Formats: sequence, C-alpha cells, structure tokens
Amino acid sequence: MFEFLFKYPRDLYARSDLAFAAEWPDWLPITLVVLGIAAIAWFLFVRRHAAGPVRLAAVGLLQLAMLAVVLWMLMLPTLETEQLRAGENSVAIVLDTSASMAYGPERSRLEEARGLLESAIGDDRLPVSVLRYELADGAKPVESFAESRPEGARTSIATAVIDVLRAARLGPLAAVIVASDGADTTGGLSAGELGEISGFGVPVHTLAIGRESMPEDLELAEVFLPARVLPDSTLSARASIRHDGAGETRLKVYDGDSLLASVPIQLGEDTGVTTAWVDFELADVGPHQLEFTLDGKDGEQELRNNRRSRLVDVRDDSYRILYFEGEPRWEYKFLRRAIADDDDLQLVSLLRVSPNKFYRQGLDAPDELADGFPSRRQELYGYDALIIGSVEAASLSIDQQTMIRDYVGERGGALLMLAGPSGLGNGGWGQSPVAAALPTKLPPADVDSFFRVQAEVALTPHGAASQILRLAGSDDDNASAWQGLPAVADYQLTGTLKPAATALLTTATERGVLPLLVTQPYGRGKSFVLATGGTWRWQMSLPVEDQRHETFWRQLTRALVAGAPANTSLTATGAPGGAGIKLRAEFRDDEFAPLDDIGVSAVVGRDDGASWTVALNPSLIEAGIYTGDIDPELSGTYFVEAVAERDGTPLATARASLVYETGQAEHFGFRRDSALLSRLSAATGGRYLTADELDSVPDLLRYSQAGITEIETQAIWDAPAAFLLLLLLKGGEWLLRRRWGSI
Amino acid sequence: MPKTASFAASLVVAAAIGASVWAQSADESGGARRESPGEFQFVRLMYAANRYGQRSYGWGRGRQMWQTDWPDAEHHFVKGVARLTRIDAAEQGQILSALDDDLFDYPWIYAVEVGYWSLNDREAERLRDYLLRGGFLMVDDFHGTFEWAGFVASMEKVFPDRPIVDIREDDAAFHVVYDLDHRIQIPSRAYSYTGRTWEKDGVTPHWRGILDDDGRIMVAINHNMDIGDAWEHADWPDYPENMTALAYRFGINYLVYAMTH
Repeated sequence: MFEFLFKYPRDLYARSDLAFAAEWPDWLPITLVVLGIAAIAWFLFVRRHAAGPVRLAAVGLLQLAMLAVVLWMLMLPTLETEQLRAGENSVAIVLDTSASMAYGPERSRLEEARGLLESAIGDDRLPVSVLRYELADGAKPVESFAESRPEGARTSIATAVIDVLRAARLGPLAAVIVASDGADTTGGLSAGELGEISGFGVPVHTLAIGRESMPEDLELAEVFLPARVLPDSTLSARASIRHDGAGETRLKVYDGDSLLASVPIQLGEDTGVTTAWVDFELADVGPHQLEFTLDGKDGEQELRNNRRSRLVDVRDDSYRILYFEGEPRWEYKFLRRAIADDDDLQLVSLLRVSPNKFYRQGLDAPDELADGFPSRRQELYGYDALIIGSVEAASLSIDQQTMIRDYVGERGGALLMLAGPSGLGNGGWGQSPVAAALPTKLPPADVDSFFRVQAEVALTPHGAASQILRLAGSDDDNASAWQGLPAVADYQLTGTLKPAATALLTTATERGVLPLLVTQPYGRGKSFVLATGGTWRWQMSLPVEDQRHETFWRQLTRALVAGAPANTSLTATGAPGGAGIKLRAEFRDDEFAPLDDIGVSAVVGRDDGASWTVALNPSLIEAGIYTGDIDPELSGTYFVEAVAERDGTPLATARASLVYETGQAEHFGFRRDSALLSRLSAATGGRYLTADELDSVPDLLRYSQAGITEIETQAIWDAPAAFLLLLLLKGGEWLLRRRWGSI
Repeated sequence: MPKTASFAASLVVAAAIGASVWAQSADESGGARRESPGEFQFVRLMYAANRYGQRSYGWGRGRQMWQTDWPDAEHHFVKGVARLTRIDAAEQGQILSALDDDLFDYPWIYAVEVGYWSLNDREAERLRDYLLRGGFLMVDDFHGTFEWAGFVASMEKVFPDRPIVDIREDDAAFHVVYDLDHRIQIPSRAYSYTGRTWEKDGVTPHWRGILDDDGRIMVAINHNMDIGDAWEHADWPDYPENMTALAYRFGINYLVYAMTH
C-alpha cells in the first residue's frame, strides 16, 4: 500500500533525502503562497454575509490545503538516495569456521551458514565484488567457502573483523557480513574493540547462525574453588550449570579414580544457569587434579562440556593466628582447646592475666610477644589472622590501633573481634581507628552493651549457605545441628551493620533478635565480629563426643586465614578462549610494601618433563605486581615458580600450578550469542540478520554509505497520494458548499 | 544422724543458698534466660560423705564435710581473685552437686575434705563427663593415708583408668601467674596453736593431678594441706600471712590454669 501511494518503498524514503527539482528562486514560492492566501481571503471576504465565520473558516482551510498540495507538486519533489556505484565496491563475507560451527541437530551450523550465504547473496545478486574470509582466531582470506571446515580452536570475532577491515581498508569496502553463532571464546567484545571496529566507518552486518536454546545439552560452565587449601579442610566448590529447560542431573567430583562427592541437582524450568555447591575433603598433601563431571541428559551428544578439571594444591602450611585477650575467661580456654588438634593452625595468644602481667601461649620463640602486643608492622603482619577479645582499645597506642586497621586493609589479614566486658563497644573500639575496618558501627563506650545472659543462636540465610557454619552435611542436617545447640553464655550489642556487612548468625534476646556473627571485606582483608564470649557453653553442655563446638571454631579460624595473602604469591590462570596461561606474581617485603626494584622470572615445568623460563614484567598499574604469559602448546599440568632477584641475589620465590587443556574452549558456551552479534552490528551501523531476513541483504549493500557511492534522484511529485489528496480536498470543499448552499 | 537424713539436710542448706544466689538471675520471662553475675563463680561441690565422714558429734557437728570452711573461704578467695587478676569474679559463690545440671555452666569447681566423699555411680559418671568436656576440679583439705584411700575410692569411680600423678615442677599450673617453685605445706588453722603443719600421718604435702589425653590437668589434688583453711582464715591474726598468701597464689594459679588450658 505504501509503495502504491508513494511510488517507492518505505525503506527508500528512510534512507533518502528530500529535494526539489524545480529550481525556483527563493522569492517565488513565498510570493505564490502570499498571492494564494490573498486570493482565498478575498474570496471569503466577498461571501462574508452568506455564511457564518465557522463555515467560512472551514472552506478557507480546505482551499489553503489544496493550494499547499499544488505548490508541493509544482516544486517537483524528489528523493535523493546515496547508493553504491556499481562495479566499484567490494563486500567482505566472513564465515565463522570455529569448532562450535560443527554443532547442529541435523546439518552443521557451518553448512547452514554456507547454504544461506550462497543462496541469498550470490555474486550475481550483489552490486559489489565479494571478498571471502574464514573466521576463527583471526581472519583468513579464501577463494571459496566450499572447502571450509569447522576446525578453529577458538573464536575471536573482534580480532577477525579487525583483521578484515585492516586488510580491505585500501580498497572501497562497502560492508562486512559476519555469518557466525557469536560463540566467542575470548570473553566477548570489549568496549575498546567495538570502538576500534566502528572507527573504520564500515557497517558490519551479522548473520546469526545456530540456536540460542539447546534443550538437549547440559554444560558445566564453570567451577570455582580455592587453588590452595589446608589438609582435611572441607572444600566447597561452586559449579555453574548452563541448561535450557527443567531436568535433573548429578555433579560428581573425582580425585583420580576416587569419587569424592556426588550431589543431585535440580534444574529449574526458566533458569539458564543453575548454581550448585558440592562439598568434599582433601586429606593428602600435594597437588590434586580434580575432575568435575555432570551426568548427561538422555540423548545428549556433546559430553565434552560436561566436565572440568581443576588443580588444587593441598599445602601443609601452618597458619599463625594472634589472639589478644584482656582477661582470663572460659572462651579463651575453650577456643584454644577447640583448635588445638588442628596441626595447620597455630594459635599464638597474649593474655593479660593481671594489670601487670601477660601470659603467652603457642609461641615460636621465648621472646615472641615479650613486650606485649606488637608495635611494629613487620611483627604484626607476620600473623595470618588476628583475634581480639575482651580488652580495651585504650590498652594499645593509637599507632597500634592504626596498625590493626592497616593489617586488615593493606596487609590483607583477617580480624575477628569477640564480645566481652571490655570488648567491642564497651572497649571503646567503636571510637578507635580499628572501627573503620569493622563490619558494624559499634555502640559508644559509655553504653554498657555486654550482657551475661544466655541467648540462643540461629543461622541467617547467608549463614546457612556459608561453609564457615557448616556443622553437618546437608542443609537440613545443618539447620538441625544449629537448632540443637545450647544457648551461648552471653551476648553483646553490635550496633548497626555497615552496607557491605553480612550477618551469618543472630541471637534471640530479651532485646530482640540481634546480629551475632557479622563479617565484611575491608581493603585487601576481611573482618568479623562475634558478639559473644560464651560459645564455650556448647562444649560444656554437650556430650564429649559432640564436635560442634570444635567444628565451629576450626572452620571459623580456618576461614580467617583462608585467602590471607602472603607477601609473595603467584597465580596462574588460563586466559579466556584458550589463549594461553596468564601469570601474575606479587612480591612484597615483610611490611607488605610492594617490591618494585626487583627482577622476576618464572620457571615453567610441564608434567611431561619439559621446562623453560619466561620473564615477568612489572605492571604499569600496580606496584609489586609482575605479569607474563605462557603459550602452552600441549594440554597438561603446568608448574610455575616465580623467582624474585635483586642484583642477582634471589629474594623470594612463589609457586603455582594449573591444569591446562587445549582445544576445549569451543565446546563450552557454544549456544548462539545473539546479543554479541547485535552489539557488533549496532555499534557499526549494520544490521543483525536472521535467516529469514536475508532478502534484504542486496538492498543493505546497495545503499551502504561506505565505499564509493553516487546519488540517485527519483521524482515523487507524481505519487498517487498527491493526486488523491487534491481530489479529496476539492471534493470535500464542493460537498460542504453544496450542503450549506449559501457560499 | 543417719547418712540419708544428713544428706537430706545438706540438700536443704544448698537449696536455700542456691535460691538466694539465683534470685537475682531470673528475668521477666520467668527465668528462661539465665543470667550470670560474673565470668567466674566459685562453685563448691556438694557430696554425700562416707560412713567415716559423719559429723554427728564433736567439732563440726551439724555441718557436712563438703561445707568445711564455707562460706568464708570462698568469700575471701574470690576477693583476692578480683583484686589480683583481671578475672571478672562474682562475689557470691555457688553450691552444686555432681547431679545438678547447672554444674556444666561452671567449668571450675572446688571440693573439700574429699577423704570422706562418697560418690555414687551416677555422680561419678557426671563428674567424669564434666571433666572430660573441659571442667576443672580442685580438691583440698584431706590428710594422711586413710583419707587418701577415701579420696581414691571415689575418684577411681570417676576415672578407673587414669592414674594420679605428681604435677611436674615445670607444669604451667605452677607458673601460669605465680612461679610456685618453692612450695611449702599449707596447714590448717590448728597450726596457730599446735605449731604443726601436718595432720594425721600426712607429713609430706603432695601436689598431684589427673590429666586428660593431652596432658592437661583436670583434677588438681592438694593432699596433706589445707588451702581452704588458709583462705578462710586470711583475716585471722594468728594464721601466718605467708601461708595465706601462698594459698591465694595456689588458688589463682589453678583458676587461671583452668581458664587457659
């Protein structure tokens, strides 16, 4: 209908500019308008007695409209359209040949794309010459797609498009058409990459291939777990499972041939990714190559994306926790006893027995803490965690209090503050420099916030999900284990929680439900407030064989030291899309000040015996950070040792290891990524196309504004709509004057 | 007085004391939430005496063996604890039997004249549970071979398979607050008019203990001495000041040891 009325399709109007072919001087149309209006006015003035003002105005408006249409037609309106000059431009057709294009329920995505391209945009249908490229890690020019195979080990769409644009920039390139599933293995398109692509000024049209939803497939998208743990620690791995539709599966964890854990997982109907947790223990010291596997669905063909390998290093390191307590009390004794059998934790305690005497336990050397609480950063920072009990802040100097705050924020240590008559708010900690690091705004010191009244403890939803508070295997058993605990002997008001704080435990008191265990990250570290000094009642009130008190404290203290950074560290991670291994080493001195005047190299070893050395370069952004890359040619376990030297003298070393698998990236995340393709086309002025929109491709190319173009002019004064409008206006006036009979 | 009647009388006394102590701890909800007056509360263990421990005549008539030195001993000692340490010590003491459920809320208990105690099987089991969970028992004021035998007879019900050992010189119990390398026999008040530091055939003082699996003292056994009398008579002009001072030091060391080990 549009094309019938207006002579040309709507798209042409959208991409064209309006112009007038009648080359009138500027005064002529104005003069004609003025004369026309004057004539109409005179006509109406003469007949002013024949009708009322409303009827005269209606007739006048119709005559004015008719005059406007006539003038429009006399000015010879035209559409000016910029379009490619035939035979002088080219278009780049980029076909994704990565391994993910091999998928398809019947024929592969590659075959589907090839068929679409050949049938819809064959050479003879396009006003341009065609350049062909295969897309995988980059772009490779080819004469034909006939021999293309889906064998690329990774997909970097941005890299490939930039390659194409650079290669074709010397010639008149009208557009790029990317036929792909969008399953980019490099983590997507960055803003920088999009900016660089759009800077070429060439529209990139994307042709979406494959399916967004693959109900027949499950994918173990990611597994998160610590790289290093203490022996006998309960590991909690978080698995992300991608699926389309409801169902159930089972996640299993193997250490070699040994099954460590197996948990059933219900997959929701609407969720694209389901997160599941699996807990297990690793006892033996050393590296463990763990295999996480998902049971496949019935008929699932691609099972390679149902498994992930992770390397966990069980280190028999001993962590040292400093416990500063201001008064002898039962919590001190039972805390010490609870973790006494944990060989990986050393509780070094400093107890003020009397105003003039400290009692020290768990020392490494006779002179350790001989002068009381550490006054030098080097000394305090040597501990992996810090516990402060019922002791006044004023018993420490301002420098020491500031040092505690920095211990958390800068050193990355963990701080646990316990309740007590002189603890938390009562101890004045809320007005000390330490307050900044704490997860709650403690009450002021002049308000007695400590109460020796028994109180029951309950898990919060966050606490129920936390491994720190896992007293039993299943959620239900864990909830029962907590519900069955005796009351704690006392509690203390914590004040309000800070925005980043999370309450893990609460207690029911005569003052209402209060936070009992609260934590928050602070700087590089984390802080906890345990608002009771009376968990010892759990030990004394329960049978000897009950281990809940010991488990609570062992897990809480392990959580304190877990993740506490050492002053030297090395991480090795697989880069997105299988693009090698990224190394990141950090070297700091005993006061955790970054070392930026050293040389760092990494000795890389593979499990087949190969070894070599790579240099690590200082980061331009962070002091003390050194980075480098490994380009692994083979799958296997890689062991890396970073060595820091100054003037040829070794200063420190740090080790890391990981399992690297080549050629796996294409089998994960291979569902069609329409969003990525849409972003690419939108950023460049191109179109996101599906198979049923291919007919528009010739026009897209013809009217592309890139390349060499020319202006085409098309008259529209003779569009039927103009004549029809004239007829309606004149007919309407005639009908009105006939009906009223007086004009 | 028959043994049963004697024990019943002691229960009445204990109940009266207990009621007065706990009157302050009941809250508005009718006592559902227990309130404690301090981190440390002196708990005296109440027990039934064996047939040799009936005081139906002579000195101490009408009082039970476990009541010996009560209440001045703990009153004086607790004040010393509050003055000499940073322990938040409640002024008022507490009396409990081994069968009392509240026993487990007090990880330090004191028993006196244990040469004459007679624990039944249930009491022995409860005391064993208490000690293995982390409780600490200080026993005192029993002398000579006969009373030792009486003590051991009940103690063997508690721990049939754990030996009683001499506490080593370097044990933390003798050093945690005060260094007690030079220990002397602490006599009863009778020393002030007899000049003798020993009673019966208990000439040599023994500091002994029963240890847990990790070598920590669970039961501190003060044999052939009377630390409780030294606390009780701290204000007695004729009782030697140095004996009282040493008795305080023993008590404080045992208490801080129990709070640290």
